[in-house]
Amino acid sequence: MKPFRMLVGKHLHDTRWSLVLSAAALFGLGWLFVFVTALNEQRFLERLSSSDQDVQNQMRWMRNLGVTESPSSASLIVLSWSHPFIFFLISMWAIGRGSAAIAAEIERGTMDLLLSRPIGRGTYLAAQVVVAIAGLVVLPGGLLAGAAFAIRFNTLREPPTVAVLMLPALNLAALGLPIYGYTLFASAFDHVRWRPNSIGAGLTAAGFVAYVVSIVPVLDDWKWRPWFERVSIFKAYNPVELVTTGETLARNAAILGGIGAGCIAAAFVVFAIRDLPANA
Amino acid sequence: MDRPSVIVTEGLSKHYGAVVALDGLSLEVRRGEVFGLLGPNGSGKTTAIRLLLGMLRATAGWAKVDGLDVWRESLEVRRTVSYLPGEIRMYGSLTGLGVLRLLSGLRGGMGLDRAIAIAERVMDLDLRRRVRTYSTGMKQKLALALAFGDPVDTLILDEPTSALDPSARGIVLDLVRQARSEGQTVIFSGHVLSEVEQVADRVAIMRKGQLMHVENLATGVRLRMVLLRFASNETVSIPPELGLVPREANGPGLLFEHHGSLQGLLSWLASAPVADVAIGVEDLQSLYDRFHGPRAEGEGGIER
Repeated sequence: MKPFRMLVGKHLHDTRWSLVLSAAALFGLGWLFVFVTALNEQRFLERLSSSDQDVQNQMRWMRNLGVTESPSSASLIVLSWSHPFIFFLISMWAIGRGSAAIAAEIERGTMDLLLSRPIGRGTYLAAQVVVAIAGLVVLPGGLLAGAAFAIRFNTLREPPTVAVLMLPALNLAALGLPIYGYTLFASAFDHVRWRPNSIGAGLTAAGFVAYVVSIVPVLDDWKWRPWFERVSIFKAYNPVELVTTGETLARNAAILGGIGAGCIAAAFVVFAIRDLPANA
Repeated sequence: MDRPSVIVTEGLSKHYGAVVALDGLSLEVRRGEVFGLLGPNGSGKTTAIRLLLGMLRATAGWAKVDGLDVWRESLEVRRTVSYLPGEIRMYGSLTGLGVLRLLSGLRGGMGLDRAIAIAERVMDLDLRRRVRTYSTGMKQKLALALAFGDPVDTLILDEPTSALDPSARGIVLDLVRQARSEGQTVIFSGHVLSEVEQVADRVAIMRKGQLMHVENLATGVRLRMVLLRFASNETVSIPPELGLVPREANGPGLLFEHHGSLQGLLSWLASAPVADVAIGVEDLQSLYDRFHGPRAEGEGGIER
């Protein structure tokens, strides 16, 4: 077996439980969000057909406000895909794999075993990156699979196709790329795991806070708000828009992929020329 | 005739800011010899080894293994070298066999059968157990099986017996001798002088990042030591042409290094007022003590 494939197999073996459990959790969430959407739609339709005068007045009032369309089932499903738990699982995977790739291996002392064999540093790191990106595809894949499976067993007003839900799933996978990238870049310099973990978690949390600041209506007039909008990678994750018009897909993918690829490339350069000390 | 050099370093240095980990190491290791690296912790042995493997980049100087630059052609160097780290850390979730398969696989799978044979038959390891259940010594045995199983020209063993029981230490020394008999070059870094003395052809003694001395143990041409006790307390004149250099007073006796001819020494002893005499060669411990003992010699250039 080629050394590269052996390394990929080894990294998959190391991470199999966290990957499987996280994907299973997302599968369950994907199912749950569809189930909840179906329930909400059902209740909404029941209210629409109600002869209750108060309900009819409410509906008339909404039409007068210009609300003439109810959101699609797909929009309601993927609206939940911005749940913090989903961000948490994606971030945990990205940060964990980024810090494990270099700093943790040096800290454990296992890097010596691998890189004393005839393995290029680039080959070693490429295997790490391949497994991390595979995980970033598998995790949203779990969410997508859960939703696709649930659509068959729940009654929705407009059941979306898997292809429609795939776009936000890809956007979610792309969101993990910059998180993995900047953690890996920090890891490429380091010889202990806690530091790149902290840097990755800190940057991600800061990005999330900036995202929250940028969408809170009461801060609309704040002069710094545009800056918060620009610095948060979470602004490039917009699942609802992707299932309605899909116009932002290319731009968001370019931003997230560009940051991720740039950081990963920089990590390759740093790792290629750095000293590899004995374990800390 | 001297065998060709397989490892050559010239002015090899590694600095970490103001800290000098290795300072101008220049040495040659010949093909097929066992080369001992001696020195206390922090003397630069492991730094030198990591430079040879391309894990560290030299601040100054250069090193070549088999004519390959250890930094620029590190991948090729590591095809010809197997390394046993000083501190063994392994993947605990893998079985012993899994570790051997993985690490041999990274070398194309060559040497796996031999590594398994050494681990099971020589080291008496149960390879079906997960490595996390192994003791430190068992992990070291597994790493040793891997190193000695590798089909390489050069073995670099960093403190290969540090966690082993006495019988396993003997096995390792036998494996080192076998490797030499099969033409492999072995760099044996260690602290147990008696072990190094048993297997090494030459030893290098390091101190504070500097190479202090290289001694040839294989040829037997080693410094002769003469312990003399004179018959009276009167001062005895020693002809300078004898080559006797006082080393230390040892009770009533005087210990000399002898740098002259044996014939001349024996002739002089026959007529000198000597009550007792003992002649021997300096052992590795006393050689080591010259650089690391309480009366260690000063820093500076290398002796060969």
